[in-house]
Amino acid sequence: MNQLLKPNQTVRTQTSQTLCTVDHLIGGGGQGEVYAAHLGDPAKGHSQTPVALKWFYPHYLGQDRQLEQRLSDAIAAGPPSDRFLWPQELVRSGEVAGFGYLMPLREKRFSGIVDLVMRRVNPSFRSLVTAGFELAQSYFLLHAKGLCYRDISFGNVFFDPKTGEVRICDNDNVGIDRKAGGGIGGTARFMAPEIVRGDALPSSQTDLFSLAVLLFYMLMNHHPLEGAREADIRCFDLPAMTRLYGDEPIFIFDPTDDRNRPLPGYHDNALALWPLYPAFLREFFTRSFTAGIRDASHGRVRESEWRAGLVRLRDSIYYCTHCGAENFYDSEAVRANGGSPNPCWSCNRIPQLPPRMRLNREIVLLNHDTRLFPHHLDEREQYNFRSPVAKVVQHPRNPQIWGLQNLTGEKWVSREQDGTTFDVLAGQTVTLASGTRIHFGHREGEIRF
Amino acid sequence: MEEMERKLPGGALSSRPLHFIWIADCSGSMGQRGKIQALNNAIREAIPHMVAVANENPNAQVLVRAVKFSNGSQWHVAKATPMEQFRWEDLEADGVTDMGKALQLVAEQLDVTAMPARALPPVLVLVSDGKPTDDFSGGLRALMEKPWGTKAVRIAIAIGDDADKATLQRFIGHPELEPLQANNAESLVRYIKWVSTAVLQSASSPASQTLDASPTTNVPLPPVPEAAPDATDVW
Repeated sequence: MNQLLKPNQTVRTQTSQTLCTVDHLIGGGGQGEVYAAHLGDPAKGHSQTPVALKWFYPHYLGQDRQLEQRLSDAIAAGPPSDRFLWPQELVRSGEVAGFGYLMPLREKRFSGIVDLVMRRVNPSFRSLVTAGFELAQSYFLLHAKGLCYRDISFGNVFFDPKTGEVRICDNDNVGIDRKAGGGIGGTARFMAPEIVRGDALPSSQTDLFSLAVLLFYMLMNHHPLEGAREADIRCFDLPAMTRLYGDEPIFIFDPTDDRNRPLPGYHDNALALWPLYPAFLREFFTRSFTAGIRDASHGRVRESEWRAGLVRLRDSIYYCTHCGAENFYDSEAVRANGGSPNPCWSCNRIPQLPPRMRLNREIVLLNHDTRLFPHHLDEREQYNFRSPVAKVVQHPRNPQIWGLQNLTGEKWVSREQDGTTFDVLAGQTVTLASGTRIHFGHREGEIRF
Repeated sequence: MEEMERKLPGGALSSRPLHFIWIADCSGSMGQRGKIQALNNAIREAIPHMVAVANENPNAQVLVRAVKFSNGSQWHVAKATPMEQFRWEDLEADGVTDMGKALQLVAEQLDVTAMPARALPPVLVLVSDGKPTDDFSGGLRALMEKPWGTKAVRIAIAIGDDADKATLQRFIGHPELEPLQANNAESLVRYIKWVSTAVLQSASSPASQTLDASPTTNVPLPPVPEAAPDATDVW
């Protein structure tokens, strides 16, 4: 095939003139082609590092005049975190006109969000929600640097189905927020309505809309604006898309407007998945696609809110005591049902809830495998899921008794319902009993059954 | 309780069919200077890339067919075939250029009774090296009388200098989009790959839409690749 670059062809980095050799084509998109390559000149005794090399189509370079400047800015700014496969160096070739750039290679363990929505991979809810959290965190860090992404969609995000760790690709549209210069408006279905209508250019505010669409796709496996009005359209062409996603966007679960409800047979995923999530999460999406559409400047859910909400969602996972399926604890549903949760989505029986810990307004379900992390015990801590500070353990001699083990170096103070208090030293375990309060130093948790 | 491997609730993302139809000139002149071989080769080259685009596009179920025309017109691949099952049998060149009859055949299949109730805009790719020898206008009229015909993304590739670009332009129906002129095998490969990947993608999910995408077309078309310049085998 007429690729832009051939295997064994060489390019050189712009700054250091280091040799980079093409291995093979990985894939092509609308702007160029990506190759596996290795960086370093063995003739000069360099060790060789595997990298990804993106080379642009000549006709795309003609369209996007600011590309080179934007990439140079991105390279100088550096990645917001290791979750971004960020441009590292511009490269040029003596034989082929134009240019490209190097970025880290994506490891094999990552699957596309496309694989997720096609159900070609099957992660747990925990991995899925973790991936959502990681995305919110990643775009939070990108926006914090004064940058905007401009093209959030399911084509340029990858995740590890086992852990939920993400990688964000195609960072060549990233630019300074509020500055013109991206050649791109975004991807259909993900663009904010004001961009679809031609009223606005991509910015961090429109990124927020695209992020909400992406999260909705991940959790509901459906588009938030595709309901009865989509089913009415015979030919789904550009005018139809502009109407549905731009001129008359109506959220399929808009509490005050039922003109665009999902229809059985057409939008089954939305109907099946929406009720499984707790009310607080559904409220995030409702706000994103009602106020967030009416008021693009002030109505959208911020990444910091998504981050906290998705951590809370992860903490509300518990396993059905009958079939083991992951369910979400919804305090509103439990209250409405007089104390018992909704039936399990998988086996339709009523599960028995595990012990819960209330930390201010948050509730963490204490499953057999629950770990607590620094932010649980101290609100001032940043989200960090690398080293747990507490874990649920089973009593070594009496499997009926469960406890919470202190993995910090500090002592906790536990107060039982009858008022007796005792210290829980580092490494020790406090028994999970209803009414017990544990003081972690900066925050107190109360165990409830 | 043991954690079990289980599926998430719900199924794959809901999608719409996308009908992609090759309309290929097999007249005698296509047998000269290796044109028909080059067309067969270009489509074979494009197939794996088309499969990749289809796999990466959860919003569309890509279904492919092919019509050939010379003395009359027949379906070369009659069944709308899912992309991953699509196999290309080589075309052979012989006879005249009954392009109008080919459009009649396509028009029959784009009738509302033959099409699904809901779909993405069909993509029609007309490849020709000559002038129609039958009633082209009648064929085009039949096609454009069908709502799915007017909604279709219509692309034309002119092979060599003898191709009737004015006719191909009428098929396209958008003044801002011209027939793609392939004067050598390399350019043909490039254009066939473009229609079968970039255009296919745009018809279902306009990827990374550029800001100056023409609003007059039914589907925003990606930039057209340049022809290959350094050709030795010029048609």
